[in-house]
Amino acid sequence: MTKASPSEAELIQRAATGDSDAFGALVQPHLALFHNGIHRILGNVADTQDALQDALMSIHRDLPRFEGRSRFSSWGYKVCLNSALMMRRSRVRIHDMERAPPLVLGTFDERGHHMEPDHLPEWQVEAQAHGLVEQQEMRECLTRALDELPDSHRIVFVLKDLEDWETDDIARHLQLTPGTVRQRLHRSRVLLQARLRTFVLGGRP
Amino acid sequence: MTFLPSCHDVQTELTEYGEGALPLSRRIGIWIHLRFCKVCAGFMRGLRALPGLAKIALGPQEEAPETAFKILAEVQAVLLKQEES
Repeated sequence: MTKASPSEAELIQRAATGDSDAFGALVQPHLALFHNGIHRILGNVADTQDALQDALMSIHRDLPRFEGRSRFSSWGYKVCLNSALMMRRSRVRIHDMERAPPLVLGTFDERGHHMEPDHLPEWQVEAQAHGLVEQQEMRECLTRALDELPDSHRIVFVLKDLEDWETDDIARHLQLTPGTVRQRLHRSRVLLQARLRTFVLGGRP
Repeated sequence: MTFLPSCHDVQTELTEYGEGALPLSRRIGIWIHLRFCKVCAGFMRGLRALPGLAKIALGPQEEAPETAFKILAEVQAVLLKQEES
């Protein structure tokens, strides 16, 4: 008869008392989630590896204080995001000194209205995108587009639109005004939307 | 400046509009513009759909990269040393 696998609660208890095997078994199912969360914020391999190592050490250190009010994966994920934000603060970012990406809008006349509006394509997001969303191609397209964003803009998009943080919380964490957060968010959204035209537009790209 | 904002104004301010961060008169102007301009209304739908789309498309991959497993093994090795000492 095979022995039943230990529950997550048992693994947490054993890992908190220093059992490294239990820690490995506890973390391994969530490693992809933890790694991806950090990588989205930091955007490069070396920093992601350092932050993941810090996060795993923090998770182990704080396990005795984990009270089980949320799932371990959610709690661990928050630790990972904090670790990524700390890492970001501690590094001098060349990207931050780059100019903001241009706002990629259409062509307007001298009064600021669309030129030839009858010929402009209609966004058909709901109908088109969800059928295509599982395609690896779209994942790769979005990943490339996120990589193209300056670090200062990508982090705002990740925290707001992927992690559902409030604008004020992002502003506080990044030491920006809420207006600057919204401005960076808007530029990021417009740029990403432009990159995804082939996926979300009805008709031709 | 006219009461009704242009397409360029609207498309520049949609995130602030969505968060209710604009003055009331500007919000009303954009609201009216969106009622009459199909292109800007479609542009806004695209922006609104983006987070949901990105969340699904960028959902966690099933497998972590090899380097992540190596890092976990390194951390476990450190913990083992601490346990032994």
